[in-house]
Amino acid sequence: MFEAFLGGFGILFNPETVFMTFVLMAAGLFLGMFVGALPGFTTLMALAILLPISFFIHPLLGIPFLLGVYKGGIYGGSIPAILVSMPGTGAAVATTFDGPALTKKGQGRKALEIALFASVTGDLTSDIVTIALIGPIAAVALLMGPPELCAVLFMALIVIAGTSSGVFVKGLLMLAVGLFLAMIGQDPIGALSRFSFGIAEIEAGIPLLPMLIGLFALPEIFISIEKKISQIIQSKDLKVSGERLTWAEFKGCGRTIARSTAIGTLIGVIPGVGQVVAAFMGYAAAKSASKTPEKFGTGELEGVAAAEAANNAVNGPTLVPLLTLGIPGDNLTVILVGAFIAHGLRPGPQLMQEQGALVFAILIAMVLANILFIFIGYLCIPLFAKVVTIRKSLLLPLTLIFAFAGTWVFRSNPYDLAILVIFGAVGYLARKLHFNVTPLAMGFILGPPMEYALGQTVTLAQDEMFNYIVFERPIAAVFVVATPIITYLMWRRSVRLRRQFGATD
Amino acid sequence: MTSDAETAKRINFNTISAVVFTALGIVLFLIIPHHIDKPLINLGGAGQSNLDAEAFPQMVAGMFVLLGAWYLFVSFSLREHNELRDLNVEAVTNVVVTLVIMAAYVWLMLSLGFVAGSAIMIFTMSTYFGNRNFVLGALVSIVVPLVVFVLFTKPLVTSLPPFPVDELIPESSIIYKPIKYLSNRSIF
Repeated sequence: MFEAFLGGFGILFNPETVFMTFVLMAAGLFLGMFVGALPGFTTLMALAILLPISFFIHPLLGIPFLLGVYKGGIYGGSIPAILVSMPGTGAAVATTFDGPALTKKGQGRKALEIALFASVTGDLTSDIVTIALIGPIAAVALLMGPPELCAVLFMALIVIAGTSSGVFVKGLLMLAVGLFLAMIGQDPIGALSRFSFGIAEIEAGIPLLPMLIGLFALPEIFISIEKKISQIIQSKDLKVSGERLTWAEFKGCGRTIARSTAIGTLIGVIPGVGQVVAAFMGYAAAKSASKTPEKFGTGELEGVAAAEAANNAVNGPTLVPLLTLGIPGDNLTVILVGAFIAHGLRPGPQLMQEQGALVFAILIAMVLANILFIFIGYLCIPLFAKVVTIRKSLLLPLTLIFAFAGTWVFRSNPYDLAILVIFGAVGYLARKLHFNVTPLAMGFILGPPMEYALGQTVTLAQDEMFNYIVFERPIAAVFVVATPIITYLMWRRSVRLRRQFGATD
Repeated sequence: MTSDAETAKRINFNTISAVVFTALGIVLFLIIPHHIDKPLINLGGAGQSNLDAEAFPQMVAGMFVLLGAWYLFVSFSLREHNELRDLNVEAVTNVVVTLVIMAAYVWLMLSLGFVAGSAIMIFTMSTYFGNRNFVLGALVSIVVPLVVFVLFTKPLVTSLPPFPVDELIPESSIIYKPIKYLSNRSIF
């Protein structure tokens, strides 16, 4: 793995591509911050509609571009959260506890700057940890055979279904829907036609890209247009004012940033938890560790730093389960899976073995993107602050053309546009009925490799499945035993949350 | 049992969804033998898997039925709000209008090309959703699709539906040549 890591530098700093890699990462960061700063436009939506751009360029350019969007989007949400108490993304909700209070005190600039520096520190540190973790975990993952892989994928799907929905069984049902949709087309073992219902267009299966854009981007548009858009924020409210952040103030937040970074990094590695939980946990931890917890919520710089460092520290580590085991940790990494698959790179243990140097090149680029992150963020804060005032009546149709153009260029097939709209409507209905579509997308992506691994396991077991798993594949047996236990614990958690919050999500 | 608990234990959208999912599982079970091809010849040997092509779908169908039953049981005590019921006339109209615009956009894109189709869609949609600065609206409607078209066709070397110059503009027209030139250069 160390050779692959060193090889990553060679690939990244190839004179032919290095400049464009950084240009595209900068573009991704800019676009991510832009979209993140728009309330109602999520990072997920930005990633979904910009995903097709990454398909037609080298993976070393396309994937860092998307990673830039990812990083920028998570940070961008903090800008309107601080200035007008309107979080651009869910990850920035915890930032509204102290950000707007600081703005009211005339310290808006300080708040925006601590948000940026805490975000970059959290992101950079967790990216380095990601690189350090990926090698050893990938080396262990390479020792896994089909039974272990099948068991791990199954357990991961259960965990994701359980963590992504308020009502556990609804998450599991969406997972089943995803598995069913993945079966349409051909079976992964014998290539026999399944559930194509005589429709030629789905003989090869449902295309991933239109489905992802439909599920994740269009529902956001539908929700945004439920009310005709009115301009409620005046640009004078968005003036970045006050003194700059001092080194002493940043240093004063150091312990908080370090704590939140550790929390975010840990949460990032666990599939299905995500930035929102990390931000709240980071904030809560900072408050309870503070000597003056009563100041939290009244405009405390540490409050902003805690939430922002934690939510950005999640970004890198979500790639650990993705790249080593092929398990996307959340809906944002599901989109990244789409980008990897489009380039013929299926995330998982084999990817690290076959394309380890390329993967490390992408990860090193991700670390270096933080330098661009700080420059773009610092220079463009006043610009992104104004983004909130852009007319949504113009932005929504523009989002739509990106979604349609991106879908079209995939295969130049009008049928894909129909898939896009159908899944957009499905995603919208699911949102309204409290179903989370993330397990659906996960089931769709992970279903075929899981079925394939199951087929291989059945063949290897030679009709002695129990003996084979228990006596010959003890690691798989551990996962098989752990899955129902985890399922039970997640069900208990779901019931407890339901009781606590009145049986609603 | 308290009256509150009794009120909660009623049929709601979750109950209906649970029935739909269970029914889906049963239908899936029934259609599996008819919608999965059988191998024409079973060669056996090393490459052959012992897992039948129907086995995994049967597991998924089983999942639907079991989870559907569980969901049905749980649904009576769920008090989630059906947000579809919250949609007022304005919201339903807006969503339906957007769906119609999307359908029309597909047709426009295929028959007028990406740039012209998108320009019409952007202008119509932005006007419907409250933009009254028509000059800005028109400008954005033309410039953005052009930029997207050039971005996708030039640096990304992909194809978007071009403007059908020969079908829509007579060769004798004075605008034919410049438009044909731009079209040939993948400008729109």
